[in-house]
Amino acid sequence: MIAALNGAFDDISKAMRLHRVWIALAHEDIGDQHRRTTLGPLWMLVNYLAFIGTFIFVFKTKDTDSAGYTAYASIGLVVWFYLMEMISLSVPLFSREASFIQGTRLPLFVYVMRLTVQCIIRASYSVAGCIVILLLSGLGISAEWLLSIPGLLLIVLATPAIVMVFAFLGAFFPDAQFIVGNIMRVGTFLTPVFWAYHGQGGIQNYAYHWNPFTYFLEVVRAPIASGEFPTHPFVVTAYISLAFWAVALLLLGGYRKRVVFLI
Amino acid sequence: MISIKLDNVSLAYRLYEKLTLTAPDRRLGGLGGKIGRSGGKQVVQALEDVSFELKAGDRLGLVGPNGAGKTTLLKVLYGIYQPSAGTVAIEGKVDALFNINIGFRPEATGRRNIVLRGLISGWTEAEIQEKMPEIIAFSELGDFIDVPFKTYSQGMAARLAFSAATALDPEILLMDEWIGAGDAQFQEKAKRRMDELAEKAGIIVLATHNESLLESVCTKRMTLKNGRVEAFTTKPAERAGTRAKS
Ligand SMILES: Nc1ncnc2c1ncn2[C@@H]1O[C@H](COP(=O)(O)OP(=O)(O)OP(=O)(O)O)[C@@H](O)[C@H]1O
Ligand SMILES: [Mg+2]
Repeated sequence: MIAALNGAFDDISKAMRLHRVWIALAHEDIGDQHRRTTLGPLWMLVNYLAFIGTFIFVFKTKDTDSAGYTAYASIGLVVWFYLMEMISLSVPLFSREASFIQGTRLPLFVYVMRLTVQCIIRASYSVAGCIVILLLSGLGISAEWLLSIPGLLLIVLATPAIVMVFAFLGAFFPDAQFIVGNIMRVGTFLTPVFWAYHGQGGIQNYAYHWNPFTYFLEVVRAPIASGEFPTHPFVVTAYISLAFWAVALLLLGGYRKRVVFLI
Repeated sequence: MISIKLDNVSLAYRLYEKLTLTAPDRRLGGLGGKIGRSGGKQVVQALEDVSFELKAGDRLGLVGPNGAGKTTLLKVLYGIYQPSAGTVAIEGKVDALFNINIGFRPEATGRRNIVLRGLISGWTEAEIQEKMPEIIAFSELGDFIDVPFKTYSQGMAARLAFSAATALDPEILLMDEWIGAGDAQFQEKAKRRMDELAEKAGIIVLATHNESLLESVCTKRMTLKNGRVEAFTTKPAERAGTRAKS
């Protein structure tokens, strides 16, 4: 286990010295996805606005507090889009990078960071859209919004570990791609992205309390939606992140040399 | 001291797809590694007990039929594959040219690809910019350097790949059959550059089916067959004069 951890830290420190590589490649990726389109990466903003616009239009009723719901759903959707995209892209990560993995000696963590940076760049467009919606929603800006920042940072810090765990899962179990894809699709409805939990029983109770995504959403959403720091969700998210890092390091240390034979 | 030493290196690829080989007692063909079983798993024995040693200035040609294990051996030397058994000891900075498309982004221009390739090899942006004019000049791509890589012909891509990789001053250069894509004039130029590299006491390992390339570049020759070393010969003739004494 000590050897595995040493291997993992060796891989990570080599990748950190090559930070220019993953930053450059992530920018290339974003550029490639939107090459020859007129709006370019702004399409990510358009996607987000179209989605959230539809949901607010459909779900907003006269008696719900409309500014509150707009904020609730738009923040929830930013975080959910980020998690969904990150996890779905992680599972086939190593097979997508097969030509680099089979042809260069770059540490695996380079590909993990490349995807991390790519997801963060993409998310920044929807975050910008979300801020605009919040300003237009009439909620009123307050200093409490800043309490979302620790939650955002925590999610960013957890990202490389989550990417790594799902990337190894995808490399060792090719079926994972379909299983995870289904879970994420169902997750859009089972996670309190658009619906709020007010102590209902039944499935919503479980979907709220036993769903790790809930806590990732709440650490960012609660400060803006309800104005207070979400201590309990923050602690749960921190524990989940630590668990992911522990598993990620063991996988990286123990199996990084095997990946090239699997893809 | 630049050197390569392999001791009883073996490498088996596991086959994950179900094979539909009907006859279990099929004869061993002339190609490929041996398909066998180990612990209920189907494996291809791509390398078996490969041992050899190279010293500074050596230029080794790897030959053998398709599937003999040449590419696999180069990837073991580069450190991409960890052998299933045996030890590999390498001293020196290694660079490799496997497949023209590896490490190149089709959408990016030739110039941008040189930058990316440099970053991957651990150079700083400043070092890359410093080498850039020389790389472009050597490749003779001219204005095409600012055109997307995907529009290059095979030979143009090979020129770019070779120019970029050798500008890194590698101490050990591994090359898989591809340089044939360059035209005669470029091959001549590439050969001179490889001579320079070997004279600087570097090591070159070249896998090829091209006898004349082998004749003109290599001083040693290793024949692989079904993953085993069949012959290892040193060319005694006049070329020995250009080899660095070590
Ligand atoms: N990723 C892989 N998975 C399973 N088997 C493989 C893999 N790569 C190569 N092999 C097998 O290993 C053996 C050696 O292949 P290798 O590519 O090293 O041959 P080669 O000498 O480079 O051949 P060529 O002259 O065609 O380039 C072959 O039998 C091949 O089928
Ligand atoms: Mg080959």
